[in-house]
Amino acid sequence: MTAASDAPMGSDAAVLNVRKLSVAAKERKILDQVSLSFPARSLTAVIGPSGCGKTTFVRTLNRMAELTPGLRVSGSVEYLGQDIYASDVNPVLVRRRIGMVFQRPTVFPKSIFENAAFGLRLVHEDEGVIDQAVTESLQRSGLWDEVKDDLDRPALSLSGGQQQRLCIARALATRPRVILMDEPTSALDPAATQRVEATMQRLKEDHVIVLVTHNVGQAARVSDRTAFLHSGHLVEIGATAEILERPKDPLTEQFITGRFG
Amino acid sequence: MHRLGWFLPFVPALVPAAIIAGILVSLLSAGLQANLGGSLFSFRWNPAQNEWGIGVFLVGSFLTAIPALAFSMLIGLGLAIASTVYLPRFMSRWLDPFVDLLAGIPSVVYGIWAYVSIAPLFANTFNPWLNTNLGFVPGFGGRVPSTGGQGLPISIFILTLMALPITTLLIRDSLRSVPKDLWESGLALGATRWEVMHRVALPYSSRGVLSAALLGFGRAFGETVAVAMVIGGASTLPTSFYSTSNTIPATMFSLLDSARNNSHFLSAIADMGVVLLAITLVVNILGRRLVSSVYAYEMAGL
Amino acid sequence: MANVLLPGAALDPDDILTRSTGRLFWRTGFDRCIGWILPLLFVVAIFPILDLVYYISSQALPTLTFGELTSTSPTAIDALGVPIITTFEIMLVATLLAVLLGVFGGVATAEFLSPRAAEWIRASANMLAGAPSVIVGYFGFITFCTYFGWGYSYIAGVVTLSFFMTPYVFRTADLAFTSIPRPIREAALGSGAQPIQYILKVGTPIAFPQILTGVFLAMAIGVGETAPLVLTTTHGVLIPPTIYSPVSFLTGLIWSDFSSPGSGLQAVAFQAAFLLMVVVVALNIVVRIVSARYRKRLEGLYQ
Repeated sequence: MTAASDAPMGSDAAVLNVRKLSVAAKERKILDQVSLSFPARSLTAVIGPSGCGKTTFVRTLNRMAELTPGLRVSGSVEYLGQDIYASDVNPVLVRRRIGMVFQRPTVFPKSIFENAAFGLRLVHEDEGVIDQAVTESLQRSGLWDEVKDDLDRPALSLSGGQQQRLCIARALATRPRVILMDEPTSALDPAATQRVEATMQRLKEDHVIVLVTHNVGQAARVSDRTAFLHSGHLVEIGATAEILERPKDPLTEQFITGRFG
Repeated sequence: MHRLGWFLPFVPALVPAAIIAGILVSLLSAGLQANLGGSLFSFRWNPAQNEWGIGVFLVGSFLTAIPALAFSMLIGLGLAIASTVYLPRFMSRWLDPFVDLLAGIPSVVYGIWAYVSIAPLFANTFNPWLNTNLGFVPGFGGRVPSTGGQGLPISIFILTLMALPITTLLIRDSLRSVPKDLWESGLALGATRWEVMHRVALPYSSRGVLSAALLGFGRAFGETVAVAMVIGGASTLPTSFYSTSNTIPATMFSLLDSARNNSHFLSAIADMGVVLLAITLVVNILGRRLVSSVYAYEMAGL
Repeated sequence: MANVLLPGAALDPDDILTRSTGRLFWRTGFDRCIGWILPLLFVVAIFPILDLVYYISSQALPTLTFGELTSTSPTAIDALGVPIITTFEIMLVATLLAVLLGVFGGVATAEFLSPRAAEWIRASANMLAGAPSVIVGYFGFITFCTYFGWGYSYIAGVVTLSFFMTPYVFRTADLAFTSIPRPIREAALGSGAQPIQYILKVGTPIAFPQILTGVFLAMAIGVGETAPLVLTTTHGVLIPPTIYSPVSFLTGLIWSDFSSPGSGLQAVAFQAAFLLMVVVVALNIVVRIVSARYRKRLEGLYQ
């Protein structure tokens, strides 16, 4: 199990560059020397058995991991060449450029409009700018047609799938370059899942998407590249078709064929 | 349903209802005054001249309970927010013991401490300070009556302390019940801790906060002994913020003994009891409806 | 927003992670300020209570002697023996009564009443718990002192106090029994046990620690109450010859003597206050110990 880096694409064109990232909690190592990079306009799936550290991994990318007390992060994560863990970096800025969608839809108890506008309102006051950005994000996440008649409805009146797309719109509104998605469809029914996957495929044209998923089929459907994590190590990474049909590492093969979950 | 005494198991359950009924009967049977609704709420209280207006005491109750509620809500909010987000672990675990201690101290102990230790502070330092700096506000200026520190300010102080456990714990429990996902979503969108707190968490817990206000008010309004010891027992309307005054429960408590042989006096006390019970019950029922935290019920009883 | 980055291209100003615009500066700064102010608030909020404990102890302890605590002399002003013993006696009987009424009532509500009736009864228990102490005292005065004709007496005080404490025990007993896991309850009743048998043999052992906690809590509340007692027994200083006589007790002592400065009376009041504080803190500690044990036991139950 060697740490594989993504050599052919070159780290100059990478939006996000992870170098020797390790995360430890008390005695246990959750992530061990993970290195990989994420180029522009790509959707990378991160797969692995439960407990392999994929959620922790993705949370280190926008400095959310440090919210859990007792975690120690070492190594570096570079966003456009800047280490997000540098001491003069404000996490608030990091999270504006690297957005996140969670496993369960987490809409705020506000109207649809206010949900989408939340991130923006922290920064802008111009109603015109906010209005336009909300419309745009709702369109891009594929929710616009369903809600455009009444944006003042409470967001909680939407169905689960719609709420999740609202969360995506909410994350898009601050114009991040990178969108992290932590198993975004695991709480949704198949129809809603399909719509969210369609959204993901549209979005990867303009963003870097990192998708954590336990569903190998989903990885096959939407991602260009796949990374396989096991016990905190990056086992293998490459083009999705390659990884899923001709995995190089026996562990990868065992996971994909369902020997362990 | 065939055995004798089939109804017996149900009887004990009626105890609380029976006691409440008893309370109501005892209040109403002392003979509500004929002048209920008329001069009942007048501001003239003069037993010697058969004047039984309880308005004075009602004013005193509100003048103490409302500011005390405001202060204890503010402080309670601050403590609750601090303990959920800002305090390091080693400090936030002291919140519970601290609040338990505050809540457990008997009312009469608060009273004697306030009377002996705090009242001089109010008389010599705090009241004059208010007078000088806030003198332009009506009621705060003019001559400070010499009351030995007793009066409205110190009563508000004591009531704030006594309502603090309820407000702090209720608000903190509401904040704690905000799902972790929601907090993290807010932060993930580039908000600071404070922004998530005031734009997401507090709105989410607005019912809990409202309930804290209602139950805290009920506590401050119904507090009897500590207030009786520091408010000065006046029977006229306060002339300034520093005057002595009296509240409904404190008056009932201190005058019941003198009233026992005078049916008019007793009716007046009963009237006060009815008003007091009505207000406390309404506020408590509303407050409990908003929140289903069992723990809150326990605390609210204190 | 450029989507493809060429090596060497300058960064979009939006993408610079280390800049600090005016607005961001204020937002972060405000958050940091609050992060310092609120802990400070916490520290400041502790002061009054610390002063209370310190002041009472410093007034009570210097002149407190063992002799005072045990002296039952009817004439010496600093004889605390009588109030202490009487407080103890009052608490004992009042707690007993409250437990009888509260436990039977709570269990009956949990086990025998229909859900709708139970809600009403629970509401009345909550109302009773929320009633100000002076109201309960007034009720006791009118009912027992006047109507029953007992006058200012030990017995009136004890019964009134027990009524005041009952809702707390009631609610705890009710809660304890309703939170017995359903599978256990259904197994017991389904295998043919009578409700009474279930209550005694299965329910009580499970619910006991929780009910015990509730009893201690009720005691902590009861020992500090003044109004229900003062209004029904005023405050005599004699060793009560009968249960129909007025008695002296710690809270009443503080109430009558707190405003006589200089004389020894006030100092005695402080000593009584000190004793009360100690008792209340002790009871609260006991409550914590019992509920910690209870939680451990409950974990085993759910496995």
